Amino acid sequence: MAKKVVSVVKLQIPAGKATPAPPVGPALGPTGINIMNFCKEFNEKTAPQAGLIIPVELSVYQDRSFTFILKTPPASVLLKKAAGLDKGSGEPDKSKVGQVSKKDIKEIAQLKMVDLNADTIEAAMKMVEGTARSMGITVV
Amino acid sequence: MNWVEIKVKTTTEAIEAVSNIFYEAGVAGVVIEDPKIYLRSQDSDRWDYLDIPEGLDFEVAQVTGYLVEDSSLAERTQVIRDRIRELPSYGLDIGKGEVALTTISEADWGSAWKKYYKPTHIGKNIVIKPSWEVYTPKAGEVVIELDPGMAFGTGTHETTMLCLEILEKYTKKDMTVIDVGCGSGILSIACGKLGAKQVLAIDKDENAVCIARENIRRNNLDTQIQAVKGDKLIDINTKADIIVANIIADVVIDLAKDAALYLQDNGIFIASGIIKDRKLSVIEALGKNGFDVIGQFEKGEWVALVSTQAPIGS
Repeated sequence: MAKKVVSVVKLQIPAGKATPAPPVGPALGPTGINIMNFCKEFNEKTAPQAGLIIPVELSVYQDRSFTFILKTPPASVLLKKAAGLDKGSGEPDKSKVGQVSKKDIKEIAQLKMVDLNADTIEAAMKMVEGTARSMGITVV
Repeated sequence: MNWVEIKVKTTTEAIEAVSNIFYEAGVAGVVIEDPKIYLRSQDSDRWDYLDIPEGLDFEVAQVTGYLVEDSSLAERTQVIRDRIRELPSYGLDIGKGEVALTTISEADWGSAWKKYYKPTHIGKNIVIKPSWEVYTPKAGEVVIELDPGMAFGTGTHETTMLCLEILEKYTKKDMTVIDVGCGSGILSIACGKLGAKQVLAIDKDENAVCIARENIRRNNLDTQIQAVKGDKLIDINTKADIIVANIIADVVIDLAKDAALYLQDNGIFIASGIIKDRKLSVIEALGKNGFDVIGQFEKGEWVALVSTQAPIGS
């Protein structure tokens, strides 16, 4: 039977820890899907990545069933990993907390290009580089 | 508890940076609305049709985060606003960069799914009836009346269905059952209705315990079923004929050792909530703790395992 999607919802939530509290509840409530079923499946599938924030894209069908796909971690998480940081800078304009290379930026951009909805690698790199600088990470 | 929804109107380019600002402000997760997702999704193989919402502005992306309404709210939202305003200086186009705050409460999102929750038939004779639906049972049917609220266990998930089918097969009159991670109480109630004389329903989430108690009362099983807050099987002075745990693979693996201690001779351990990829690791953990798997049941991507203690010396 042809499946018709009525909405596509994208969330970024901690692996293994989805609950009906925000953002999951308010984001999925209006779609009419069973929120707890989503939490259970997401938690089981992401348990091995505990501690990371995982982007997830849900497709909700007309009959209120759903499927979802997991994406690579957010650019900010990958940047922190590349720079060896736990946290970005609280004052990125004044205090620089780490650095990454242009090569790192390109690698992250390549990995995330589809998820970022970027049309070109240059556009994806601009997003990743801007994100790095907004976290007090210098690009060298 | 009230929450404040913070919606930022921006561009596709700034989504990652805005999300990061939310994380650094202590937000647990964000919702991303990027209309460009619809352009990319056109070639998706996950569906046949997709309605692109009318009037969608492809230049405006939104990132939404949620904070608990408390005394630090004003300060935290100001930090979010300030940092978004700085983004253009790092080479990012933030578009409108508008930040809008709305107070929301659980009532706003907690019940939308109820419209789509209808009586469900499971196994041979079990029927899950949402408490607000009218249903006339047929002869021999075991009707479980349920309002799962925000607890796990509606009966619509494969893992719960598997457990119900297995319990229908194995629960005999006057048995004692322990239900670990009881959620809405659905499995405990099924056991009570199937003749168990004593059921202990445990959950580490206090909210789930309250919901389970209401559902137990709704089904007139207060005398047979006791719902308590607890983590796993610690502090229990009962041995059961059946232990059922519909949680996730890792928790089930941890539980295998305790399950062995809290089962009667010839008792069975029903382990569910296991995604197919993890089946072998659960079977291995069961084996290490002296369990023989006597039944494997599958639905979709999920597996439930029925095991029993191998006799000593076998």
